[in-house]
Formats: sequence, C-alpha cells, structure tokens
Amino acid sequence: MKRRTLLSTATLAAASTTLPRLGYADDMDQLVAAAKAEGTLNVITLPRDWANYGAIMDAFTAKYGIAINDANPDGSSAQEIQAVKSLKGQDRAPDALDLGPSFADIGVQQNLFTPYKVKTWHSVPADMKNPDGLWTGDYFGVVSIATNTNVVPKAPRSWRDLKKPEYKGMIALNGSPLGAGAAFAAVFAAALGNGGSYENIEPGIEYFAELAKLGNLNPAAATGPALLVSGQAPIVINWDYLSLGYRDMAAGKANIEVVVPEGAKPYGSFYCQAIPADAAHPNAAKLWQEFLYSDAGQLMFLEGYAHPARFESLTKRGLIPASLSAKLPPAAPYAEVKFATQEQVAKAQKVLAANWPQMVKI
Amino acid sequence: MKTQFSFGNWAIILLALAFFIVPLVITGMFSLWEGGSRYGFSAYQLMFSTTDFWKSLFLSFRLSVETIIVTFVLLVPAMIFVHLKAPQLKPLFEFISNLPFVIPAIALIDGLTTLYTGPSWLISTPNYLVIPYFFLALPYGYRALEVGLTTLDVKTLTEAGQSLGAGWGRIILTVLLPNLRSALIGAILLIFTTVIGEFTFASVLLFHTFAVFINDTGQNAITEAAALSLVSFLITWVFMLGVLFSGRKDAGQLKGAR
Amino acid sequence: MIPWLFVGLFLLFVLAFLVAPTAVLVLQAFTGAHGFTLSYMSGLLSFQYRLAFENSILLACASAAVGLIFGALLANAVAAPGAPAFLRGFVTSFSAVAANFSGVPLAFAFISTLGSLGLVTQMLKHLGINIYDMGFSLYSLTGLTITFAYFQVPLMLIIIVPAIDGLRVQWREAADGLGASKWQYWRHIGLPVLTPSLLGAFLLLFGNAFSAFATPFALTDGNIALVTIDISNVLSGNVMSDPQVGAALSTGMIIVMALILVIYSGLTRHAARWRK
Repeated sequence: MKRRTLLSTATLAAASTTLPRLGYADDMDQLVAAAKAEGTLNVITLPRDWANYGAIMDAFTAKYGIAINDANPDGSSAQEIQAVKSLKGQDRAPDALDLGPSFADIGVQQNLFTPYKVKTWHSVPADMKNPDGLWTGDYFGVVSIATNTNVVPKAPRSWRDLKKPEYKGMIALNGSPLGAGAAFAAVFAAALGNGGSYENIEPGIEYFAELAKLGNLNPAAATGPALLVSGQAPIVINWDYLSLGYRDMAAGKANIEVVVPEGAKPYGSFYCQAIPADAAHPNAAKLWQEFLYSDAGQLMFLEGYAHPARFESLTKRGLIPASLSAKLPPAAPYAEVKFATQEQVAKAQKVLAANWPQMVKI
Repeated sequence: MKTQFSFGNWAIILLALAFFIVPLVITGMFSLWEGGSRYGFSAYQLMFSTTDFWKSLFLSFRLSVETIIVTFVLLVPAMIFVHLKAPQLKPLFEFISNLPFVIPAIALIDGLTTLYTGPSWLISTPNYLVIPYFFLALPYGYRALEVGLTTLDVKTLTEAGQSLGAGWGRIILTVLLPNLRSALIGAILLIFTTVIGEFTFASVLLFHTFAVFINDTGQNAITEAAALSLVSFLITWVFMLGVLFSGRKDAGQLKGAR
Repeated sequence: MIPWLFVGLFLLFVLAFLVAPTAVLVLQAFTGAHGFTLSYMSGLLSFQYRLAFENSILLACASAAVGLIFGALLANAVAAPGAPAFLRGFVTSFSAVAANFSGVPLAFAFISTLGSLGLVTQMLKHLGINIYDMGFSLYSLTGLTITFAYFQVPLMLIIIVPAIDGLRVQWREAADGLGASKWQYWRHIGLPVLTPSLLGAFLLLFGNAFSAFATPFALTDGNIALVTIDISNVLSGNVMSDPQVGAALSTGMIIVMALILVIYSGLTRHAARWRK
C-alpha cells in the first residue's frame, strides 16, 4: 500500500513537472524568475501611440527589467500571422500578438497559438475571450468622429451632420473598409446609425455612397494623425482611442474634438491577445499577459483611451480615478456596446467586398 | 555645328523644374511647421539626434551596395553573353525581367519563407533582404543595361577586338564595359535608390531599414516625417551626384558624342 | 563554356528564388479546399475584380504614355549636344532619386499641393480658378496619373538617355548636309533608331505603374479599385484574409504582363528589322 502511494505520488510529482503548463497562472514568482531569465520580449505591430502601448511597454520594462523589441509597429494583423509563420524557430519570432478577432480565429484554425489563461481571466467578459484560452480580448473601442476645430469650427456630432454641405471634401476614413479595421467599423457603425443592424451592413454602404455623391468624402487614407492635424482631411472617422490620442498629441498644434456619433447605437470592436506556440520567449510572453490584465495594466489602457476588457470589474471596485474619467467621453454609449459575432462580421465582409467598389464612387 | 539648344528645350526644362520642385518645397514648408503659425527647425534637430536614424541609414546603404555587387556579378556577364552568343535567350530574359512586377511582395515573402527555412546565418540577418532586392531592382537594372547593349552594337566591337587578337576577358573589361559606362551608371543609380526606398519586404521581415524608420516616425511625428522624406531625398541625391561625378574623368564618354 | 556558366548561374538564381515561389503562388490560385479548382480564377471575372483590372491597366497605360513623352522630351533637352554641361549631371542624379520617391511621402506631398485643401489648389482658388469645381480631383485616375508622373518621367529619362547618346552626331550632321529639316531627321533617322529602346522603356513604365502599390494606397485607398490594393486587402490587411483570391489576382497580373510582353516582342521584331 505504502509503495503504491509513494509510486503514485512520485508519478504525480513527475507529471506535474513534465506536463506542459495547463495554462493556469499559479506561481507568479516562478513565472517572473523564468521570464527574467529569458531577458527579452518580442512584440509586433504595437504602435507606441496606439492605446497607450508606448507607456505600457516602458512600464513593463521598468518593472521587470525585460527589454522589449517592438517590430513592425504599423503592420497589420495579417502580417502578424505571417511573421509567426516566417520566423518560426528564430530568435526574432514574436512572443505576443495583438490581433483583430477574425485573425485570432485564423490563428486558432491553423494551430498557431498556445493556450494561456491569466490570473484575472474570470473577470474578462465571456464574449471577449476564447473558451480554451487560445486568445483573450484586451481592450475595445467605439467608432468616433474626430474634427480639427482650427479648420472646422463647428464639429459634426451625428451621422446626419456629416452630410452637411459645409463639410465638402473633408471627411476621411482610416483607410479602405476592405483592408482597414477602423474603416470597416466605420461602415458598420454608419449602418447601425441608419437603420441597419449587425446582420445588415447595407445601409452603411448606402450611407457612404451618398456621402461620396455629395462630395463630402475625401478618399485619402487617414492612417496616422498627419491628415487630421495638418488640416488636409479635418474630419476623420476612426477608433475613439486613436482619435483621443491624436487630440493629446496635437496639443499646441491643433485642437481636435472627438465625438461618439449621437442618436445612434455605437459600434465597437476589440483586439485579442494571443501567444504563439513557437514563441521565442514563452515565459516573458506569459508575464506580459499577466501585466496587461492586471489592474495596473488595464488602467494604462484606459489612460490611452481604450476601454479595457475588465472595465466593468474596475468600475465596480471604484478603481478608476475621477481625473481619468473626466478626460474620457461620456460613459453612456460604452455601456450599450455589444460586439458583432464572427459570423456576422464574416457575412458583412462579403457583402462589403461585393458592393463597396460598385456603390461608392468619389 | 549649330547649337541645337532651342527655346523648346528650355521650356521643357523649366516646366519640369516647376513640377518636380513644388511638391518638395511644400513638404519642406510643412516640415518646418511647429503648430499655429510658428516655424522652426525643431523637427530636424530631433531627427538628427536619434541614433536609429543613423543606424537604419547605414543598414540601407550597406544593403544597396551588396545588391549592386550581386547584380554586377550575376546579371551583367549573363546579359553580355546573351547579346553575343545566345540571342535566342533574349525573350526569356525579357520575361524574367518583368516577373518582379507581377509578384506582390507579400506573396514572394510567403513563398520564400515556405520554401527556405535556413541557413539561419542568412535568413535571420538583414543580408537575406539582398535576395528579394536583387529581383526588385532587376527590371530597372535589366532595362538600363539592355538599352546600353542595344545601342552599342556589341557584335562589331567584339569582332574588331577579336580580329586584333584579344581574348574574352580583355574584350569585356577594356572594350565593352567602358563603352557601357553610362548604362552601368544608370543601373547603379536605379538599384541604389530602389533599395534605399524599399519598404514592404523590410517591414514584413521585421528589419529596420531606413524606409522602415521613416514610416515608423511618420506615424506619430508628422512634421519629423516630412523632414525625413526631404532629408532622405537630399542625401540620396548628393550620393548620386557623387557617383556621377566620380565617373566624370571620362567626361567625353559621358556626353556620348563620338 | 564559361559564358554558359554565367548565364546558367543567373538562371539558377532566378529559378530558386523567383520562379519557385511564384509557382507556389500560381498553384495556390488553383487549389481549393478539395483540390484543383477554377473557381478562384473564374472569380476574377466578377464585377469588382474586372473593374480593378480595367483601372490598373488604364492607369498603367496612361502614366506610361505620360512618362514616355515627357521623359523623352526632357532627356532630349538634357542630352542634346548643345546642353549646358552641369545640367546633365544635375538632372540625371535628381531623376534617380525622384524615380524612387513614392508611397506615403509622395502622396502626402501631392495632397498638400493639389488636394482639395492643398496649397496650389488654394492659390488657384484665390485667382478665381476652382479646379475641383471644374471636375478635377487628385483622387481620380487623372490625379493618380499626375502623381505617378513624378517617378515615371525621371525613370524614363534615366533609361533613354544612353539611347539618345547613341544617336551619332555624324548622322545629324549628314542629314543637315543633305538639307533635311529637324522633323525629317527625327522621322526618318532618329525615331526609327530609338524605337526598340522606346518600346522597352514603355514596357518598363507600364510594369512600374501596374505593380505600384504604396502610392495609390496612400492616395486613393478604397476609392479606385486597383489590383494591387485588392491583393493587399486579402493577403495583408486587417479585415479579411483570403490567400487563394490573392494568388488568383497575382496570377491574373502575370497573365496581363505576359500579354503585354507578347505585343512588345512582336513590335520590337518589326522595329529592329532595319538593323539587319
């Protein structure tokens, strides 16, 4: 009897050290030590001015002494997946990914990720995470209208306002809805504001077709703040966290006003964190996740104007400072945000791809 | 011989000057903008003090020299011999030289990384970029050399050299290449500027070349980005002038009048 | 023996690093979830992709023509025997740089110049000329052609200058001696000699514009359907991912370039017959 217990205990002990971590963050100190031993973290497509990532990366390095390599900051989600595949086995392989949900799904289908559930997993809403822990939503934003009030003193506040003749040639999107997430969201948001739904994106396409016919739509791609701040495209429909970030960055150069379209349901979407199965520094990657989903990390997203996944948990526990709440847009629209499912998004993409080139002519 | 530099020629040059200089001037004006109606050099000071600026510039410079060398070793002899011995291969070369235009960068990278996963001393260093860069510059290098070789009448020159008893190497080095000078210089110029300006391959393979640096800066610091484009334009131009004038010792050949 | 070594080395390099990845790509265009399929290629005939091909080909032809004509005129002005000495080096070196000035910096420069709120647009408005009301738009195929000219014209210049150099002064002098006018010289001597090089240059300019991505992306993204932008949207975007469609579009581009090459070969053979 004793021998069997000994054997089974030994087996259990051996198993727990040889089995791959089942993805539950159990021992923080061990993780920190292992991560520090790796010494570096490779991240990809994280612009410094996107959702406060610059400050977040600096804070992580300051706290744990782990240097961060930020490769290809302006790359797309597709390029992240490509990098995971191209750099497999190399020291430069990405350790942590921040992807659009469609691409997180692709990664799951192609078995590119390893599962990991952070300590605060339970307080991330169910519609923002993969049940097996293969990806987790980190922050979300809603579609907003940003206006350079030096050039346009009276900022438009609703979808109807944007059609006014005084805004001729001024309104730009963050790229093409067929290639840029923020632009795709803008069309979906316009759909929600003009009689459409998550199942029906057509009214959004019709809206932009009309905007183009009126001559209000400027076809230049407003990626980055240049066109907004310089006044060449003084009205940009973009993610709220980007527009608010540009507002702060342009202080002293131009006044930017950011508005969530009034009188319409807001359209929001989130980004997903995932750890590649072939990450070069897996423990640093897990520590990074823990940092991002800690109260401190989530608050830093909010300081970048991106609503963190655990926003509800933070609010309930009164952790959001009043000074920060004051800088954010009114809370009402954010409470209403529901996310479209992947099926609805895929369907909308097909409708958009087939109709946008035909209907929207500038 | 009457001077043929007519009024028409001057008109063309002035028109071209206006068209090419105005956008640069406007970019320059924007680079000096500091908000509201203030203008100053702060964007330039910021730019030159960043170490990444110099590091990425030297990397792009080094890659362009490597690409030029690879092109000279692989392409120039092949083209000369096609003209001399195997004109039936010309259509093949024409087709190959146009292939890089139709293969999107992202697809080529996908194909390359699927097929070739090593050796790591090549794949994980920026030198790996020389392979796609060779192909990127191929259409331009090929065309520059092709025009030069067609204009030259290689056959007659070679036969003349052979009839005087010279061997192949001597003919190429002392007869053909010197006469191809302006085409070769054109090819060097085009390859150099292609590599310096190349962005897609470097950014997807995560290497920090100069164009990647400019793009990264442009995302947050817009006036610095304008300053950067202008400075990179000027730096490259100065280098080009250097290449051209260093080949000037045969000024007669540069002008082509024979 | 040695000559074939050099040719062989080049061909091997091309085979390994260009042809093989391309073959992978073309194969992908014909491979669906259940094996061989023509569905992706036939999908190219749908409205949005037909439009993209039409636009891309039209833009490439127009900007190649603009580049050809203005580049040749400029090259002639610069390489002509009576040209001031410094001009040639100045213009050639500038052209080398301008030929690769593209993408976001070029788009931004032109938006600031000729965009709806650009400086030149505003200046013309002050003079009473509103070009946007007159139908011009920087964000149309016309606007793109003008923007492309910034790198097409210099490219043409660099390519064609050696050919103009090759027009021997003696031929010009002989023609003058026989009483020929400037137009007769060009029509009977100059242009026929230059034609193969002009055709080759047109081919290069066409390919350059046809495959352009960064500049139209920054300038008109989403407005004008273009093949390169469509490819980027499905292979490298943030909204959808469809590798087979991207592969099919690329294969379509290869077919277009192959057709143009065939036309070019036919024309060159015809034009070069005087040499025999």
